[in-house]
Amino acid sequence: MQRRRLSTKIGVIVGLCIGAVFAGFPVVWMLSTSLKPNSEVFQVPPRLITENLSFDAYWKILTDPTQLRFFLNSYIVALWVTALTLLAGILAGYGFSRYEFRLKRFINVAIVSVQAVPPITGVIPYFGLVVALGLYNTYGGLVLTHMVFTLPYAIIMTTAYFNTLPRELDESVKVDGGSGWTALWRILVPISVPGLIAVGVYTFMISWNEYLFALTLTRTDDMRTVPIGIQLLMGQHSYEWNQMMAMSILGSIPVLILFLLFQRRFIGGLTSGAVKN
Amino acid sequence: MEPAHIDRTVMPEAATLEAETSTSPARDRRRPFAVRSLAPYGYISPTMLLIFVLLVIPIAMVVSYSFQDNVIVEKNPVFAGLANYTEVLTDPVFWTAIKNTFLFITLSTIAHLVLGLAFAMMLNTGLLGGVTKAIFRIVYILPWLFTIAVVAVIWRLMLDPFGVVNYILTTLGVLQTEVNWLASPSTALWALTFINIWSGYPFFMISLLAGLQGISSDLYEAAAVDGANSIKQFFNITIPQLKPVLISMAVLDLIWTSQQFALIWLTTGGGPLNVTEMLSTYTYKQAFSSYEFATASASAVIILLLTMILAFFYVRQLRER
Amino acid sequence: MNGGSTRVPSRMKRLLGVVTAALLAVGAVGCGTGTGEESTGSQQEGGTVELEFAQWWAPELPDGSFQELMTQFESQNPNIKVKLLSGPYASTKQQLVSGAASKTLPDVVGLDGAWVNDFAKQGALTDLSALMAEAKYDESQLASQIKVDDKTYMIPVVNFVYPLFVNEDMLSKANVKAAPTNRTEFLDAAKKISALGGNVKGWALPLDTAVPNGIQNDVMSWLWASGGTMLTPDGKPNLTSPPVKSTVEYVKSLNDADVIAPGSLTMKEQDKVEKFTAEQIGMMIDSLAHINLIKKNNPDLNFTVAPIPAEDSFTGKRGLPYASWGIGIADSTEHKAEAFKLVEFLMSQQANSELSTLANGFPGNNTAEPDFSKSDPLFKTAFDIYKEGYPANEFVGLPKSEELMRTFDEQLQLVLTGKQSVDEALNKTQESWASVI
Repeated sequence: MQRRRLSTKIGVIVGLCIGAVFAGFPVVWMLSTSLKPNSEVFQVPPRLITENLSFDAYWKILTDPTQLRFFLNSYIVALWVTALTLLAGILAGYGFSRYEFRLKRFINVAIVSVQAVPPITGVIPYFGLVVALGLYNTYGGLVLTHMVFTLPYAIIMTTAYFNTLPRELDESVKVDGGSGWTALWRILVPISVPGLIAVGVYTFMISWNEYLFALTLTRTDDMRTVPIGIQLLMGQHSYEWNQMMAMSILGSIPVLILFLLFQRRFIGGLTSGAVKN
Repeated sequence: MEPAHIDRTVMPEAATLEAETSTSPARDRRRPFAVRSLAPYGYISPTMLLIFVLLVIPIAMVVSYSFQDNVIVEKNPVFAGLANYTEVLTDPVFWTAIKNTFLFITLSTIAHLVLGLAFAMMLNTGLLGGVTKAIFRIVYILPWLFTIAVVAVIWRLMLDPFGVVNYILTTLGVLQTEVNWLASPSTALWALTFINIWSGYPFFMISLLAGLQGISSDLYEAAAVDGANSIKQFFNITIPQLKPVLISMAVLDLIWTSQQFALIWLTTGGGPLNVTEMLSTYTYKQAFSSYEFATASASAVIILLLTMILAFFYVRQLRER
Repeated sequence: MNGGSTRVPSRMKRLLGVVTAALLAVGAVGCGTGTGEESTGSQQEGGTVELEFAQWWAPELPDGSFQELMTQFESQNPNIKVKLLSGPYASTKQQLVSGAASKTLPDVVGLDGAWVNDFAKQGALTDLSALMAEAKYDESQLASQIKVDDKTYMIPVVNFVYPLFVNEDMLSKANVKAAPTNRTEFLDAAKKISALGGNVKGWALPLDTAVPNGIQNDVMSWLWASGGTMLTPDGKPNLTSPPVKSTVEYVKSLNDADVIAPGSLTMKEQDKVEKFTAEQIGMMIDSLAHINLIKKNNPDLNFTVAPIPAEDSFTGKRGLPYASWGIGIADSTEHKAEAFKLVEFLMSQQANSELSTLANGFPGNNTAEPDFSKSDPLFKTAFDIYKEGYPANEFVGLPKSEELMRTFDEQLQLVLTGKQSVDEALNKTQESWASVI
């Protein structure tokens, strides 16, 4: 028994290591490229560590106000998206979980199927619409657009989460003379924090990395986000390989930190939202 | 703003649905006025407003474009009936795109499922210490942290004929000569699928990990007492317990993958010889390079209808849960 | 929501009615909260006009230099401010297409000759001929104008020629005395370079279909260099003519001789330049604009530029492919006069020569001379090549030119992968082009 346990353990570790190479190697290569001069990127044979190791690319990005602005924009957009998605998601989740109303099922289905609408379907009219609403090249335009894609998942999650909480909880508030509104914010939301964190982290990640609409709906550097900043380093004629990679690494750090901080709650939140009935 | 009113007007046929919707008599008895109350509409109104304005309107516009003769480019487009649909449906490239999209999304989803489950199970064993697991968890989550433009670029660099992947494979003797992964018609679709597998499995893994942690250990202990080995436990406990998550994740993933555009556009652009042409790139080319906005819209509507089939299964799955 | 999309148009109308009402309501909310922003140039206090100028040039030029030029313009025209909207080439194009579709083009737009026809037909660009007449502008100083139906819609500001770049060290290592001047010599040189071994090949052919410019720059350039044309005199496609056929056959022969760097079918222009810079290819046809870039990334590279090789027996003037940074004015702008002032400024002798020197291109103003003293010696060499021949790019001004290139590209890919013959490919392309032009 002891022996079998050991061999399973070795098997798992070997498996994990192979998986880690698959998952991590491209990232290692990214890191390596970010530290190379551009002329060595296509060197044959390729090298993991160059003799001319330098942090210039990072330095360039961190001292360039335009690039820093991309980061600021990404934070602004992603944080707004997260906050508003959570707000709208909590409200809708509560509505769906605690009330019966006309067209409930239909609306629920509609919201869920929003996830199936391919973004490419709407690019042309969408652009015109955003312009008509005066939201072109504004944070508002990006935030609302991202919300269209993050909200359905958030609502599914919050509804499922609220469904797991017994109704007696909100009834008790109502007995004391409170409304559904107080029950939601005083009782349900505080209990649901782990699930909400999961939704929040997920939303932040989607918004932070969103590319197609961030590209289409912005046109000045003071509105563009990090993914577009990276794209800008691919000129018509050449790639600024090292800066591009450095910016990707820098751009992934906030998401990584978020994940590190919340990983336990993130996974825990997904569990209760996604698995239990 | 009266959301309730709009809802009814926009979705007239929904009235039929609603008859069977006012179910759950137990709840109704407990909350007799809930059905008439405006409160639930208040709660869902922000969402409805957003989705209506930013999604229903554009879709309505696309649908109307698809029935007109070259919209946008011509100043006075005329009604064209189903001509645009005929044009799209008789274009052989469109069918190639359907086939490629099908291969791409099914392979990606299956691989995401298998890899996600395998990694999740390895990360969930009781055999390893917490720190080791935490480190592996971070490494495994890495592909998720990068925006798709970067994923495309790093893989282009690595899969270059003289890039590091070919270098390693030829040095190890796995390959005799360098392969043009993304440029040769026989490998491009597979290479692209591989990249997509890499970038997409972490969310699967995390969700399944959450699912695994939600399975009560009592089940396994009881099975162990009955003498079930780990393979039996896997098929009799793990899979059935995870089934709802597995299925809804799989459908969701099919949907998400079919929407993938940037990755394809930035790596192969649908080439070589259309072997990686997908519905998304096909539509984009129709609009932005042929300026055929009407056929692009028709193709978009077809994609929408196809994904609605997937959405149907997804909704059904969610409801069963 | 899928309910709306499966309905027939009659119901659509009703739906759109509701939609419009909701739109107005939301629009009001949007403005009320102050998120709205004027999308086209606006009149500000004190009678200052702000022009929006979308282009992909600023990122291609030395940092801040284009902004400096705009500051010059602003100091000459104190009542006009210029706001630069800069992005990469490909996304500039996508934004212009979207902008044209929704009538929200920026006031002044940077244009590629290949886009003009479509934007003009759409009514998105204003007729510059009329503006020039109004401003009594002396047209004779313009090296060229891009017209659609006899009206000017784009003026090339800077022109970039595409000569042959050769790696001199590699040539001498391969025992080739001089840069090849005709097709036979080129094939020979490419073979010798490829024989050097390692990962080195003679030439690169970027055929990625996402941005199918390779057809214009790397394939048709061979045709134009021998004085050939792909169109009939009245502008119809003429792809089955012997010169086109011999061009495609020549490219195929290069492919058959295995002198083309691997990965052509999805190679992008950037990759070609990278490979030349990293000494993985010995020769390429490329924009002169890249000299600085190549030198920056590989200061030790010993290379020069030469005319594109012609057919062996050819003695006439050689067409030299070019691409332009063109300028146009949106039809929807309220500030046409001010916008034209900006065009005038960029085309003026002094600003135009300054800009072309910065960009390593040739001025769009006849009287402007690039400042050779400040530029790379290769630039002078290229200018001489340019003066020997004539600028040739038959895609400029054609409708849906990107689509034309893509069709050609796809057929060429079939030829290079041995799936069809040159004749079949050209016949099919001819047929497809004939339906567009």
